[in-house]
Amino acid sequence: MARKIAVTLGPMYFDKKGDAVAYLNAMLNKYDVGDRVSAADAVVLEAALARHPEAKEKIGTGVKDFSVRSAEFGTKCFWVNRTDGTTVKFSHRAI
Amino acid sequence: MSLGDLQAWLLEEGVRDDLAKIVRLTVRSELDNLAGEAHEVSAEGIDWQRLIFAGSILARSEARTDQEAALRIAVAAITLTDDRGVRDAGAVLLGKLSNFRAVSLAVDRALVTGNLDKRLGIALRLEALRREMDRSVLVETTGKWMQLNDFQQRFWTNASRARWLSASAPTASGKTFLVLQWLVDQLGAGEAAVAIYLAPTRALVSEIETNLQNLLGDAKGIEVSSLPLRGKYDAARTGGSRIVLVLTQERMHLLANVLGDAFFVDLLIVDEAHKIGDDGRGVILQDAIERASRTNPMMKLVFISPATQNPEELLADAPEGIETVAVDSDAPTVLQNLLLARQVPGKPRRWTLETRQAEATIPIGLLELGNTPASFIKRLAFIAAAAGERGGTLVYANGAADSEDIADLISQLQPKADPKFIDSELAALAELARKGVHPNFRLAPLVERGVAFHFGNMPSLLRLEIERLFRSGKIRFLVCTSTLVEGVNLSCRTIVVRGPRRGKGHPMEPHDFWNLAGRAGRWGAEFQGNIICIDPNDPVAWPKGVPLRSRYPIKRESDAVLDLGDGLLDYLAKRGERTLSDMEGSEEFEQVGAYLLTSYMRLGSISQADLAKRHAPAFIARLDDVLRGLASQLDIDADLAARHPGVSPVGLQRLLDTFRSYEGDPENLLPAEVASDDSYDRFVTIMRRINASLFPAFEPESRIKLYALIVFQWLKGQSLAEIIRRNIAWHVEVKRSYRLPTLIRDTMALVEQIARFRAPKYLSAYMDVLHLHLRSIGREDLIDHGLDIGTQLEFGVSSRTLISLMELGLSRMSAVALYEKIARDDLGQEECRKWVVERADQLGGMEIPAVIIRELRERLLVINDAGPAEATE
Repeated sequence: MARKIAVTLGPMYFDKKGDAVAYLNAMLNKYDVGDRVSAADAVVLEAALARHPEAKEKIGTGVKDFSVRSAEFGTKCFWVNRTDGTTVKFSHRAI
Repeated sequence: MSLGDLQAWLLEEGVRDDLAKIVRLTVRSELDNLAGEAHEVSAEGIDWQRLIFAGSILARSEARTDQEAALRIAVAAITLTDDRGVRDAGAVLLGKLSNFRAVSLAVDRALVTGNLDKRLGIALRLEALRREMDRSVLVETTGKWMQLNDFQQRFWTNASRARWLSASAPTASGKTFLVLQWLVDQLGAGEAAVAIYLAPTRALVSEIETNLQNLLGDAKGIEVSSLPLRGKYDAARTGGSRIVLVLTQERMHLLANVLGDAFFVDLLIVDEAHKIGDDGRGVILQDAIERASRTNPMMKLVFISPATQNPEELLADAPEGIETVAVDSDAPTVLQNLLLARQVPGKPRRWTLETRQAEATIPIGLLELGNTPASFIKRLAFIAAAAGERGGTLVYANGAADSEDIADLISQLQPKADPKFIDSELAALAELARKGVHPNFRLAPLVERGVAFHFGNMPSLLRLEIERLFRSGKIRFLVCTSTLVEGVNLSCRTIVVRGPRRGKGHPMEPHDFWNLAGRAGRWGAEFQGNIICIDPNDPVAWPKGVPLRSRYPIKRESDAVLDLGDGLLDYLAKRGERTLSDMEGSEEFEQVGAYLLTSYMRLGSISQADLAKRHAPAFIARLDDVLRGLASQLDIDADLAARHPGVSPVGLQRLLDTFRSYEGDPENLLPAEVASDDSYDRFVTIMRRINASLFPAFEPESRIKLYALIVFQWLKGQSLAEIIRRNIAWHVEVKRSYRLPTLIRDTMALVEQIARFRAPKYLSAYMDVLHLHLRSIGREDLIDHGLDIGTQLEFGVSSRTLISLMELGLSRMSAVALYEKIARDDLGQEECRKWVVERADQLGGMEIPAVIIRELRERLLVINDAGPAEATE
């Protein structure tokens, strides 16, 4: 049996990674596509992004804020809006 | 024997045979590729003196058949004989019919020598002089006399007298020409500072705007605009240049919304006024007229409609004490030959033609086709190409796809154009089609051979240029769709038609057919027009046969829906309870329901509304009960509801409820700036919200993303060519097959129907309700007081520079083409003008199509008050 690894995302603490992902799923679903993510949620998301395997590339020049936009096959996902005006999507499941 | 008896006898007996003979001869002279006749009928043996005398008796009749016979005799006398005396007599007869334009045409063609008056005897000369004086009006602003026909003169005299006037006359009666003259005269004489010309389609708006600009030329002090913006309006109201705003009913509402309490119109002209009966948009038109009349009960109002049965109906709701008058005419100005084309049994290439006159048909001859017309569209194409070879030929197609195919077939029968010798204007049009739409747009190679197609969703610059070159004769064949019946003033020499449909496959009503057929015959350019109806006995093509001449019955859409009685009441009752997806027939009742509820909110009872007098009091009382129930649920007030005609106040309330229960950041309820990466997705969500709460305007759900994408691209100021290019790229990327002509047409339709029609209507309402909500929660800081989203969408502009270019009078196509070259996005009108003036010599090298450069020169490089612009050629 795999050992549970606790995850901390900003002010949020989760006993295991699955709980963190479930929390981010719920966060995603409370937004409609085209929404800008609130400042409070952005703190959690930024922490999640830091755990992403491609965190460095995704963060680039720095994070301005986050949006929820369309993704493939009719789904939606979080997007990083960088300080230089560029934008890139990221999967919160990959944290 | 009374005069009436004499006139009837003349037609039935007196000159019947000679009349049949001249019908045959005059009609044959109009058609090309007729086979020779074994027994050629000639004009020999016609007793012209007797015939012309009969014509002068018939000319005194008011009946259309008598007037037509008199006109036929006059035209025959002028065109069929070499005898100068007979020709002169024909011209005198035209004068008796007050058809001075036809007399001028005869002189221009050297059929009649000029100075006719000098060759007449004293008595005739005096009579002619008196008639000319009777039929002349003084144009106040120019001090010149203008010669008019009977209808035109009655219009002019009455328009200056009555406050509300409804004028109806067949196409080719010179209505538009006259109304525009009168309008300019009214403004010039200071009778009005702000005039609105309501035209029910964008196609007609562009056309009227262009006509007015041409009519005004360099005249100072009168501006023309089709943008619902306040700048020019405010100038006119504060003593600056007077203004004519040419608007659709939707744009007039946008303008009234922008102006608020300042909205005040001195003179309103409603063109194609029978459209007050149109499904869906008729009630918006009615509402626009009532809105303008409410703010200025003394407003001067002129309705114009094609041949209608009851033009006085439009005057029924005039405010008390306002003088009204209906001016009606059914007199012909050009001969209209209705021809029936039937295939000879067993000989597919041979077609007999006969003409239907009053109650008889007269054989005309045999048309020989060069190829076998194996399909219906080939029949249309080949008959048009053969019988209408000399040009001015219009073919009616049932749909945009057919119009392209028919035009293609006709073009194949024309000589192949040598690239070195293509007319420069046709080449410029082809260039505009290639650069402005797509390099492989089918229109381009066709126009190089003098053939074109034309449908409503085309960009206006392209469509107007096609119409202009068809008028000038360089485009000889034009294949069109029902846009033409929807009100484009385009006449032709010959119309070819087979089983015409309107909308989704419904056979044309007789009055629609005759509105189309009425375009045959260019008054002042031709003596005759021809309507060729193919396969008249085919029950599928013509379920009720080729319609007899008929005039429009005017009935307001609101009255028609109210006449449905309980169906409307049930709908309204359910509208307050259920979600919209459950509702059947919602489109039909939604708009009128919105109008009624808004009227109720304003008046407190429908019994106080003008329409109440046309319906049973008991029904109105039941209607009031239902509306009372709905109104009691609303926090939306009457003013907000009135700003969005056709949008149900119940829907507005549901949307407000949705906003109130929204738990997220209210900023996310606003559209994102188009430059933002969120913009497209935000539109998707807003459209979903509108579908769920306001009205299912963007259905089916599976197409919302496509709709949002089009709206996003359009608003961003992308050109049609760019939108089409991206659409193709998307198809390639997802490996979805497509046919280019269909993709082009579909993209044009999406731009016109979604981005420019549905989106402005519903997004504008969405924003208004959202602003109400934001104010109520103390978030006024989120309200942007810039250009209204409805106006941004209608014109496809979101940057200051683009708006300025369009305010200067450029079409969107030209404005976007130029904007691609301009770096700054915040230029005002004068800065834009300066930008162009400074680069006037370089425009040719900018890869901008020649037609666009011409528009730039006409609109931006004209001589202004300060003298010639610095860089005119």
